[in-house]
Amino acid sequence: MLVDTRCFGRVELDEKKILQFPQGIMGFEDKKRWTILYDIESGDGSSISWLQSIDEAGLALPVVSPFSLMKEYNPIVEDEQLECLGEFKDDDLLVLLALTVPKDVEKTTANMKAPFIINPATATGIQVIAENEDYPIRFRVAEAVRKMKEE
Amino acid sequence: MLALSRKVNESIMIGNEIEISVLEIKGDQVKLGIRAPKNVSIYREEIFKQIQEANREAVEGVTPQAESLTELFLEHEKQ
Repeated sequence: MLVDTRCFGRVELDEKKILQFPQGIMGFEDKKRWTILYDIESGDGSSISWLQSIDEAGLALPVVSPFSLMKEYNPIVEDEQLECLGEFKDDDLLVLLALTVPKDVEKTTANMKAPFIINPATATGIQVIAENEDYPIRFRVAEAVRKMKEE
Repeated sequence: MLALSRKVNESIMIGNEIEISVLEIKGDQVKLGIRAPKNVSIYREEIFKQIQEANREAVEGVTPQAESLTELFLEHEKQ
């Protein structure tokens, strides 16, 4: 199917790549169908991808793997909250964090408190709020990257 | 909005599965107990709203800048 996207214009998308978010995502609760787009053309193995709404072209969030920001990321979430994802082993799940990119890129933040959790096997996802007290909604990315470099 | 008066140790039911009890009242603070099926998400309203707001900001972020952002990530991946 053809899908209009925020960053890549109109793209051909395999319907198997459509992810169902039964509860939408927070702030966009009525948007239930999403997909993940990668910028293949940049060809540099960039770790930033886009969570793109199928139903509204302008709606896309840049997302990254939490492990590109920190070595250990263990969001605490009740198992029952993930029931909608169907059957899975923890290792099969894809975890992504939304990035907020202001004009000053240096001030980019990642939302560690509310990860997207996706089960590729059932093509279903959910955004949850982790119980971890020390996970901020606005986690400064540049500082984290520098810290990773120092280690 | 429905307004109900409750005393300490009194509850209200929402449907037949969700129970909200007043556990303690101390000054201007009320401690509530919530019993609900585990698949029902319970959040403090301000945190929920902050995350809605963060998602909206993420959607509105300026895309051209993502390029320099990518550089930031790459720089560290090359290490």
